[in-house]
This record gives sequence, structure tokens and C-alpha cells, in this order.
Amino acid sequence: MENSNPVYKDKSYGQYREMLYSYDENGNFEKSVSYHGEPDRVVLEQAWDLFNERAEEAKQKVLAGKVSPIAYYMEKILADPMGLSMMAGVPIWKVKLHIKPFFFKRLNDKTLAKYAEAFNISMEQLKNFEQLTGK
Amino acid sequence: MDSKSLMINYTHRQAGHCESGATSNLYNFYGYKMSEPMAFGIGTGIYFSYLPFIKLMFAPMMSFRNLPNTVFRRSAKYLGVDATVIKKFSNVKDSMDALDRNLGKGIPTGVQVGVFNLTFFPPEYRQHYNMHNMVVYGKEGDLYHISDTVMEHPQTLTYEDLVRVRWAKGAFAPKGKMYWINQMPKELDIKKGVELGIKKSVYEMTKVPFWLIGIKGMKVMGRDIKKWPKKHGNQKAAFYLGQILRMAEDFGTGGAGFRYIYGAFLKESGQKFENAVLLDAADLMGRTANKWREFTYIGARNCKNRSSQPEEDYNTLGDMMLEIAGMEEQVFKKIEKVKI
Repeated sequence: MENSNPVYKDKSYGQYREMLYSYDENGNFEKSVSYHGEPDRVVLEQAWDLFNERAEEAKQKVLAGKVSPIAYYMEKILADPMGLSMMAGVPIWKVKLHIKPFFFKRLNDKTLAKYAEAFNISMEQLKNFEQLTGK
Repeated sequence: MDSKSLMINYTHRQAGHCESGATSNLYNFYGYKMSEPMAFGIGTGIYFSYLPFIKLMFAPMMSFRNLPNTVFRRSAKYLGVDATVIKKFSNVKDSMDALDRNLGKGIPTGVQVGVFNLTFFPPEYRQHYNMHNMVVYGKEGDLYHISDTVMEHPQTLTYEDLVRVRWAKGAFAPKGKMYWINQMPKELDIKKGVELGIKKSVYEMTKVPFWLIGIKGMKVMGRDIKKWPKKHGNQKAAFYLGQILRMAEDFGTGGAGFRYIYGAFLKESGQKFENAVLLDAADLMGRTANKWREFTYIGARNCKNRSSQPEEDYNTLGDMMLEIAGMEEQVFKKIEKVKI
């Protein structure tokens, strides 16, 4: 889609117009349909920069063998262990263990399927992280 | 029934806030002209809570609106409208069957959804936020027609996608919650609705005996802002500050964390019942909202170029927040004992 919002050049977001209210000096509340402006862009970008940064960091750690792929996909869906535990239906202390490669390798398919569903990916992607996602 | 196409003649209007927009559109469908601010005010949408011990998207949680479904439920209650809310379903099939049954009867039905997997939603907002509302008003084969008031135009979703968002997991999981209007009374008693709505809002903003809710919460947050750079370092403080601005300006608030919409409600009801107190309060609310927007401008500048003296900047911002809290307190003091 062509991005017609002037402040979001070369970005995949910022192409939807929203209804915004305002209040002028004459005491009227006005409605207008427009794009978000500069301040909103700054704070949104700040958030997405952090999310992408965290995911990239986790990816490097997975490739180095320090954490399991669960840690990467957890960052990818913007969750923390608590959130993931709610989404996958796995107790939080187990989630924390499964982030460690030692325990991840011993996971059965039933639990893996729960995680795969929460991440909205196939089980193969979880198992063969390096081949499918790492490169 | 599956193969038939069911379309209800429902008018989609864009609005600032998802739930009050959906509520006002539903009232309009049943032949009562109600604007979005009116639905928002009567349904006591305005709120504030600051919960620093809960982290939402890696930053303290705060909320500028009431719990999901409050606007619809309370406005129906205060206006004496016969409405049904099904809080949760036990399984996926029941929830979709109930929706299909409603569409078969010609009832546009509101559903609560999570936005993370909502395919038509702007990608920048697809975070874990399970309190979004939209109205389903038609079905063609596998495709559901959706009126989402944040979007400019009506949208469609497939069966699987709709199931996924209606059964989104995590905090405040919707669990298939849905709501609709059964019957409207002949005459809506708007006067009583406004009175009850204002009374409840005043209670929630100023009198809840808990220090993190309402005006008190804003004051606590203002004082906390000043401590952030020292406590968390510059980078984290900027991210926390960004969270306030994101919650206030983005995510379909109509700007300034719903303060504009509430001001518009006060003004509309003031004009309707020719009440000077309400008009006066509306003006003050409008100016408070403009102050919020100023806060956003200064805050966003602070997030972008982090200065060398962060503490000074955060002190200014904290003072500004306290000033805003003071102004809002005055608004609610004004309308506390209003006689319409």
C-alpha cells in the first residue's frame, strides 16, 4: 500500500487515518479524521525499536546456544514469561525452565504443540530453529 | 444457514474510541440518535488508574478508560435499555453459534476481541491488548462483516480469524464475550442518564478509597515521573514516559486520553439542558485536554533527543502532570453537585 502519511515515509505503519478530537479557542470540540502527527510517531517508533531490538538480541543468544528458541519467539510475540504462560497454558515456572536449552531439549511434543500454537508457528520451526529462522 | 448470506443494514461510522463508538452506532441502528461523546459520558468511560507494579509491554501499566464493556453496560443500565451481555462462553463453537443465531435474527452484535492477531488492524497497534470492541453485522459464507470504529471503512474477517481474536489469550482474555441490544424503550430518559453517569464518574475519579485510582493516581504518577531518571536511568525513563504518551494518544483515544471526548460530552449535555455549570466544566475540560496534548509534545521531544540534564526535564514534566491533575480535580469538583 502506498504510504500517503507525510511523517511516516518508508515505514510499514502509519497508513491508517483515525478520528481525533480537538478543542479550539472559541470553545468548540472539533472532530477530524487524520493521520497521527510527529509526537505519536516518536513514541510508537520508540516502542517498536525496543521490541525489535529485544528480539534480535534473543536471536543472537539462541544461535549462541545460551537460551532456547522459546525465548526468541516469546520476544517476537511481545510477551514476557508471565504473558506466555497465560497464552500457552503452561505454568510460569515451567516456562522459565523451558527457556533454558537443557530443559527445552527434553520437551515432549504435547507441550511443544502448546507453545507452537501460542506463537502461531509450526512445530518444525520450533525444533529446527537454526535452519528455518536463524539465517 | 451457513451458505446463506446475512447482511444487516447497519451504518458504520468512524469514532475516536472503539467501545463508545460501537455503543453509539448500535443506538443509532435502533433509531435513537446518540453521538459518541454522549455514549461515552453516560457510560462513564472516563477513568484513570496507574499500576506501576504491573508491567504492560515492559513499562508500568496505566489506563485512561474504564474496564472493557463498562460503557455499553452502564449506558444501557442508566437509560433503561434492554440489553444482553454474555460475559464468557465455555467453548469456541458455542460462542460462534450464538453469534450466527443473532445475525440470523438481524441483531448486530458487539464482540470483545484481542488486537494482536486482528488482520485488518494497523500493524503498529498490534500489541497484546485484549479490550478492543467491534460490531459484527453480517455474514457471507465464511466471511464476517465487521464494523470497527477505529477504522475508516467496514472490514471483513474469516471464521478462523474471528475465532482467534475472540479467543485471544493473556490478561483480560475476552473469552468470546458478546453483547447486543434487545429492545429500546419508547423514550430514552437522557436527563436521568446524564445525571447518573456524571455522579458515577465523579465517584470514580475523586472518591475511590485507593491511592492509585482517579486524580490521586495522577498525582502519584506525577511524583513518580520525577524519580524515574534517577531510579531507572535515562533510557528506561524515556521508555516509561513514552508509555504514558502511547496510552494517552494512540490506541484509539480520540486524543489526550479521552479527555476531549469527555469535554465534548459535558458541552453537549450542557447545551441540551441549558446548564451553565456543565458548559463551564466543559470549557475547563477542553483546556485540560489541550494541556495533555502539550504534555505529549514536550514528552515526545524528551523521548527523541535525550538531553544532558534529564532530571530537570522530568521535573518539569512531573510538575505539569500535577498541574493537569489539579485542573481535572477542579472539573470534577464543579460537576459534583450539579443539578440538571
